[in-house]
Amino acid sequence: MIRVLADTFSWGTFPDAIRFIIDHPGLLWHKSVQHLELSGAAIGIALLLALPLGIVLGHLGRGSFVAISVSNLGRALPSLVLIAFALLVSQHFFVNNMLALVVLGVPPILTNAYFGIEGVDRNIVEAARGMGMSGRDILWRIEFPLALPLIIAGIRIAAVFIIATATIAAIAGGGGLGDIIVNQATYRLAGVVGASLVVSLIAFGVAFLLTLTRKLLTRSYVSAD
Amino acid sequence: MSAFAVLAQQPVIPDFGTGSKCETENHTFCAGWVADHWSDTLQPALLQHIKLAVIAVAIGFVLAFAAALVAYRYRRADQPIGLLSDFLYTIPSLALFQLLVPLTGLTVTTVEVALVSYTLLILYRNILEGLKGVPADVREAARGMGLSRLQSLVRVELPLAVPSIMAGVRIATVSTISIATIAAFVIPEGLGRPIYIGITQDIFKTEIIAAGGLAILLALAADALLVMLGRALTPWRNA
Amino acid sequence: MVRKHARRAVKAAFALALAIPIVLGGTANAQTTATPTITVGTKNFTEAFVLGQLYKQALEAKGFKVAYKENIGSSELIDTALTSGKINFYPEYTGVLALNIAGVKPAPKTAAATYAAAKAFEEKRGYTMLRQTPFFDADSFTVLTSTARKYGLKTISDLKKVPNLSYGGYPECDKRITCLLGLKQIYGLKNIKFVQLGTIPVTKLIDSGKVTGGDIFTTEPALANPKYTALIDNKHIFGFQNVAPIVSKKIVAAYGAKFTNAVNAVSAKLTNAAMIAMNKAVAVDKKTPAAVAGAFLKANGLA
Repeated sequence: MIRVLADTFSWGTFPDAIRFIIDHPGLLWHKSVQHLELSGAAIGIALLLALPLGIVLGHLGRGSFVAISVSNLGRALPSLVLIAFALLVSQHFFVNNMLALVVLGVPPILTNAYFGIEGVDRNIVEAARGMGMSGRDILWRIEFPLALPLIIAGIRIAAVFIIATATIAAIAGGGGLGDIIVNQATYRLAGVVGASLVVSLIAFGVAFLLTLTRKLLTRSYVSAD
Repeated sequence: MSAFAVLAQQPVIPDFGTGSKCETENHTFCAGWVADHWSDTLQPALLQHIKLAVIAVAIGFVLAFAAALVAYRYRRADQPIGLLSDFLYTIPSLALFQLLVPLTGLTVTTVEVALVSYTLLILYRNILEGLKGVPADVREAARGMGLSRLQSLVRVELPLAVPSIMAGVRIATVSTISIATIAAFVIPEGLGRPIYIGITQDIFKTEIIAAGGLAILLALAADALLVMLGRALTPWRNA
Repeated sequence: MVRKHARRAVKAAFALALAIPIVLGGTANAQTTATPTITVGTKNFTEAFVLGQLYKQALEAKGFKVAYKENIGSSELIDTALTSGKINFYPEYTGVLALNIAGVKPAPKTAAATYAAAKAFEEKRGYTMLRQTPFFDADSFTVLTSTARKYGLKTISDLKKVPNLSYGGYPECDKRITCLLGLKQIYGLKNIKFVQLGTIPVTKLIDSGKVTGGDIFTTEPALANPKYTALIDNKHIFGFQNVAPIVSKKIVAAYGAKFTNAVNAVSAKLTNAAMIAMNKAVAVDKKTPAAVAGAFLKANGLA
């Protein structure tokens, strides 16, 4: 069985990959920072665009069709295709990759924000309205906190997806750890595997931080989720 | 003609024919190129892509279904299985492909293992939630009618879980079609390959638009087909 | 009852999940029957595709049956494919083999020595190399022809006359004696600046004057344009990169002189001019490598 699986390559590449990481801390640090810069900027802009829109629409209960369609469309857009199309729009390397990453990051944030807010138990909302709370108060004091787990889940999905796509963006000049992963001729398989390990760790780290944030923000109450 | 005589001559360099103006000047879309290269580039890539996706979703479904059944029966199994799927899902797709390369080489196996891993989370969650979503009183009624656990599962609970399962299959299929474009970084198959070649060959617009467009259309078409399939499988709902 | 059935379902799923990769892996393994099939492999760029098609079609024209595995990857990966038996024929660059894979030190000083070193390395492993091509695909220091005329540049040594010297090279070039370090130490161009190439084509950088010269490979289509002049590498820091097919000894033994003559006949015709023309036809005029190779072979009576 092992022969069938490993007849061309071997487990030995993994120690080589660790060796690569130990031998090239400067390179990997530089690329990681680049990677996080691109990803972070994209997540930030996606949040700015999608979060308010999703929350407002969810609060008003309007545009569910939009929310669902955006979600479906977002899933149907292959990341590589978006990177490629963005290259056709602009050849300025930060701009085109940012464009692609933001487009990919918006759907999960928008959809989850929408359904998170909209899905809050109507009875609670009605009770609050009966108590005389204004629409804005209801949104910020009731709907938003209860929707927080779903909203953060959406941000987490977007963040992981953006970090993953930023890796591919290297072929469009995006830099980051993808520069190593797509350049097997220069860095050899050990380098590629090493950089893959590093980018995976970064993705785990970001996902973990967001889950931790959710737990901290919602520990003081039980959510509707 | 002896080898020596051949060696003594300079080669004849034939006229290979110039590309159309559209191609050499890299206009936005050259329909001529698409027509010329449909059967040698675009169609094979499309068929390979469909094959990759179908195999991945099929295997993923079988594995996720088995895992969901286990977790349905043994509630304790939910945590570890869910955690494992989540873990796999967080690994960036290109990184997962490359991490598998030392183990399974630059083969279709590597790509399929990675693609299956990504479908597991979605399918497992949706199948399990679908089963869990069956109202308790329905289950009790089935038991009350004398159905065994297995009969209840097959005749009552699973059919009621079909909408959720189909939603999962739909999401998993579209995601798989998307991620399969990245397979081109490992094996020369799928629609990702013409896109990759287009980018690395001086950003050849036509090839990128043609292959990219096909990938998006494929995903949307699969989505629509599965919606129809879902409706056909649940005639008792006006979904 | 459900427990038993759930267990059965899990077992069945597991069996399926194991069976499919084994079947896929098994059918992909190379044949180990008495007469091995000629399996040609190629690396993952335009010139490699053209070379692969040239040899494949030439052999098929002489009646040989050829299996074809295109786009395997870079040197490291295709060498693994060779040693694991997935392929038994691929065209390799003598310098890459001698320096990068065999790690020969000190670096050979002539094309013939490089070829000999590469061949010796392969023969120790059960493979051999057939005759090398006239063409070589090496790095270069290419400048605008106007720049060359302005400073009277013919060789890289002449660059000493140029102020504000800069060179556009690929990643890791600045760490290699076969690249920037060689320019600095062997040619004595101590103040040369390095500009790393990314996705912006090197020709654009040279045209805009952002670099004095850049690394355009000696068989790249751009060099067909008289606008560019590749300076002569008189101290040979870029090494020698002619191409020679690596073939397993078993194949040579099985198919004999008819096979080796057919391959050598093709190699003999591959000059720099021929390769530049073929690369241009594929990369610029968007012809398929198969069509271009076919046309070339036909025009030269080889297919």
